[in-house]
Amino acid sequence: MVLFAILAMLIFQFAFGSRLGDLTPFAGGILWATLALTAVLGVGRSWVPEREQRVLDGILTAPVPRLVLLVSKAGAIYAYLLAVEIVAVPLLTLFFVRGQAPVDVALVAVVCLLANVGIAILGSLLACLALFARARELLLPVLFLPSMLPVVIAAAGATHAVLGGTNDLAEYRGYCLFLAVYAVIFGLVAYATYDHVFDD
Amino acid sequence: MKRFGERRAVDRVDVCLDEGECLAVLGPNGAGKSTLLRMLATLLRPDAGELSVCGRRLPDEAVRARALIGYLGHDPMVYLDLTARQNLELYADLYGVPDARERVDDALDRVGLLARSFDLVRTFSRGMAQRLGLARVLLHEPRLLLLDEPYAGLDAAGAHLLDAVLADASRARGVVIVTHEVERGVALAGRLLVLRAGRAVLSEPTGPIDGAAFRTRYEELVA
Repeated sequence: MVLFAILAMLIFQFAFGSRLGDLTPFAGGILWATLALTAVLGVGRSWVPEREQRVLDGILTAPVPRLVLLVSKAGAIYAYLLAVEIVAVPLLTLFFVRGQAPVDVALVAVVCLLANVGIAILGSLLACLALFARARELLLPVLFLPSMLPVVIAAAGATHAVLGGTNDLAEYRGYCLFLAVYAVIFGLVAYATYDHVFDD
Repeated sequence: MKRFGERRAVDRVDVCLDEGECLAVLGPNGAGKSTLLRMLATLLRPDAGELSVCGRRLPDEAVRARALIGYLGHDPMVYLDLTARQNLELYADLYGVPDARERVDDALDRVGLLARSFDLVRTFSRGMAQRLGLARVLLHEPRLLLLDEPYAGLDAAGAHLLDAVLADASRARGVVIVTHEVERGVALAGRLLVLRAGRAVLSEPTGPIDGAAFRTRYEELVA
């Protein structure tokens, strides 16, 4: 998955790099488009071992509340996104950003930490929903990508606000607040529906 | 009752199992045997009717009921990329088993896999994986064992081992075993349930009957 993120960034670099001199204004969009596509891969694989190795019934018959399964998968997706971002953000600053300060990168890290919460909760919920569905490989991206769009827009906006050269901290805070609200809303949706997503 | 679309997979099945009793569920393919077992295992919600396991009503008290159930389906439900020991340790964690290390050793020893406990399950034969599955369901000492075709993939030694484990286990806990092997079902169980098209066509204690003789009756029942 990390390799996928690196390759996606390289493709952006080759696609735009030779034509546009300064890619700094596009850096936020490039980062979050890459992370959104990588998240689809990660979420899609989150239940693969249980499904392919036919362990799912064993896990579902254990005396563990369904909410714990949902939260543990969300935690795994969060950790996976974090691992990708640890590689992707330095690559972004290397390939696409000119003249960034360390504090800007730290602010991008905050965006990542906030956006990951929403993506992980939503991804975990949809991965559980698609678990028993036919054509789940198709269904999951079709549901996940549009639902994730508000996070991508806000995270790209916040990243652009600190890396795009404007250093507009008011705009940055607004986008961060939006990411936090999105995470809370989907956290509540997951809490309200978790018991039904594992139903046959 | 459980319905899949328009089809009633299980309908009007009324059965009660006492502690220490073994129930064999027999029937042809599509009779609803596995569906009944999956409802008891809390994997499927019944559409109508009442279901309770050890006094816990399903699905309302499913989490508490699961702690009392050991379910072994067609697959051993173990991770192929973990060792036998790691798999059992994982399930011991999930079930909150005390003295997990000793219990894992005991369970592996019981199914003859102690010497292979550090091997990846991927390297196991189907029969060995099924034995590990059996160790998995016995690990937390469930009060109700639910076994769906547990003899599938076992060689003669494995089947003999399973017979011994079941004979030992059924003294202390209830066992529901779904099987196509009529003679074995009659030999193992104290009560028989025969299903056809989702409905019970026979539910009675086995008594002193001969498996081969019962087969003729069974074939008439499911014809």
